[in-house]
Amino acid sequence: MDVFNPAFWTFVAIMAGIYVVLALGLYVQFSLAGLPNFGHVAFMAVAAYTMAILVVRAAMPLPVAAIFGLVAAVALGCLLGIPSVRLRADYLAIASVAAGEMVRYLATNLSWLTGGPLGSVGLLGPARFVSYNAGWQDLLDRLSRALSSVLGSAATPDRAMLLVVWSLAGALLWVFRRLERSPWGRVLRAIREDETAATAVGKHVAAFKLQALLLGAALGGLAGLLLAWQIGVFSPNDFEPTLTFYAYLILIFGGMNRLWAIPVGAAVFSLLYTGTQFLTFFPLSLVDSGSRAFLRLFSVGFLLVLFMMIRPQGLLGNRRELLLEK
Amino acid sequence: MLLEVRRLTKRFGGVAAADDLSFDVEEGSITALIGPNGAGKTTVFNLISGFLRPDHGEIRFAKRRLEGRRGDIVARSGLVRTFQTPRVLTRMSVLDNLLLAAQDQPGERLGLGWIMPRRVARREREIHARALEMLDLVRLRHVSDQYAGALSGGQRKLVEFARALMVMPRMILLDEPMAGVLPALVLQLLDHVQDLRDHRGVTVFLIEHDMDVVMSVSDRVIVMDEGRLIADGPPQAIQNDDRVIEAYLGPAAQSESSGKGPRETPRG
Ligand SMILES: Nc1ncnc2c1ncn2[C@@H]1O[C@H](COP(=O)(O)OP(=O)(O)O)[C@@H](O)[C@H]1O
Ligand SMILES: [Mg+2]
Repeated sequence: MDVFNPAFWTFVAIMAGIYVVLALGLYVQFSLAGLPNFGHVAFMAVAAYTMAILVVRAAMPLPVAAIFGLVAAVALGCLLGIPSVRLRADYLAIASVAAGEMVRYLATNLSWLTGGPLGSVGLLGPARFVSYNAGWQDLLDRLSRALSSVLGSAATPDRAMLLVVWSLAGALLWVFRRLERSPWGRVLRAIREDETAATAVGKHVAAFKLQALLLGAALGGLAGLLLAWQIGVFSPNDFEPTLTFYAYLILIFGGMNRLWAIPVGAAVFSLLYTGTQFLTFFPLSLVDSGSRAFLRLFSVGFLLVLFMMIRPQGLLGNRRELLLEK
Repeated sequence: MLLEVRRLTKRFGGVAAADDLSFDVEEGSITALIGPNGAGKTTVFNLISGFLRPDHGEIRFAKRRLEGRRGDIVARSGLVRTFQTPRVLTRMSVLDNLLLAAQDQPGERLGLGWIMPRRVARREREIHARALEMLDLVRLRHVSDQYAGALSGGQRKLVEFARALMVMPRMILLDEPMAGVLPALVLQLLDHVQDLRDHRGVTVFLIEHDMDVVMSVSDRVIVMDEGRLIADGPPQAIQNDDRVIEAYLGPAAQSESSGKGPRETPRG
């Protein structure tokens, strides 16, 4: 990989935009409503698989399949949320971890439906390689042609994707910023602080929590769709539990309860994550590549711990808020 | 009768925190609930306000059955409670704590802010004006922008009191509203409680340990001990009730203290 290749940085920026959408979903659930969701990746996976299966097997047009993908993510949210929003937060935490893993195991083992370990290319069996992505590539081609009248030869499908992802991310950040500041957001923040107090002033806590969970699920699903379109083929391994934790990292980096910190956190995370790929210079070049991969993860973890010691409130967070007693 | 409680019972393991309780609270009255620590007073509030489900018994508020209903439904029906240990929303401003409690804000419905922005904004202005009025009432306007978590215990009690009033209750349950509040403010708070009843028609039902407060403010006093109701009547009668004196001071003290009435007990 070449540090100076602009295509590489376009890829990094697209991924950062997808992470924004993913982390925004978690923000609505965790930062706003206080719902600990440790299986966010499940919403991504369910949406991506639903979309790909419907396109490949049912020959559904991409936009319709995408909507079904989001519906499937929201349905999973209902499945998780309806039994657990009435209970203490720990129940959702445990159920969501399980859901994340279950979705991945099902995707790996229900080969007749999902293509098994082979992933999306094996959707019609291992002998017939298929793709769900033609419609999306088409869209990007058309968009980049339209853009080329303004940008000339700088308009590539990759950059069209960059534009699509970040416009979407920006629009969603704006929408959810408004929701957060609305009376609805005020109720959610109150529930995060103290459910009992919110109940005592007449708020139906479970209903609000479910709304937050489902909105977050839809955003997670959208991130899953974008990821699937971006990488073109996917397999169960693209939906590892670590993705959920990346989303948490982004919230922590930016500052837990700051919506506008999400793109900052996503940028920092992406730079750190991809940046450590370039740790190939001397003396690290003496280490073999397998150990370097380990070293890389280690250094990300180490930097995170260091960061939390120096700035526990995140880049844009408020330290005083962190120190308030319950 | 605004509130009618009949044969209310709640057990925790072997302990009957509420044992076959029956009493009424009259509309427009200030009624005090007293009793030694652990008598079951807070449990009664929890049962009435929908935070606990009774084992037996009936609760009627404004002729509607209430037992076992969700707490938020009870609150919206006009019966609002505060907590013995105040529950403020720490990482929200004092003002937001109050704004939250207002009812009929259509903007609390997801997306309605986009469909009817003007109505939401108009209601928000009304709520805001009322919240400032309430903050003036408890003398906390100067901290309206601070995090509620930065306030002292007594100030939190006042925030909770003001927040409960934001709901526009028909009846308010106050669990030791004066505990931890500055003595100078206690008198003011008492005035507010009386004003609530006299000018806003709010029925007040309060748990209070300070006997001077109880005797001066309440029209009626209900006394509990070990989950049971042991006396119920006007303050003067309660003050001289043998069973009450016994519950507070033990049988030995009864002779020497008769006529003086129960004293303040340590707080739990
Ligand atoms: N949630 C609970 N679980 C178990 N026991 C409880 C619970 N709430 C109260 N109790 C018990 O019920 C009794 C009455 O408590 P409480 O209603 O708090 O008394 P008071 O408010 O009069 O001081 C006490 O013995 C207390 O330990
Ligand atoms: Mg109590």
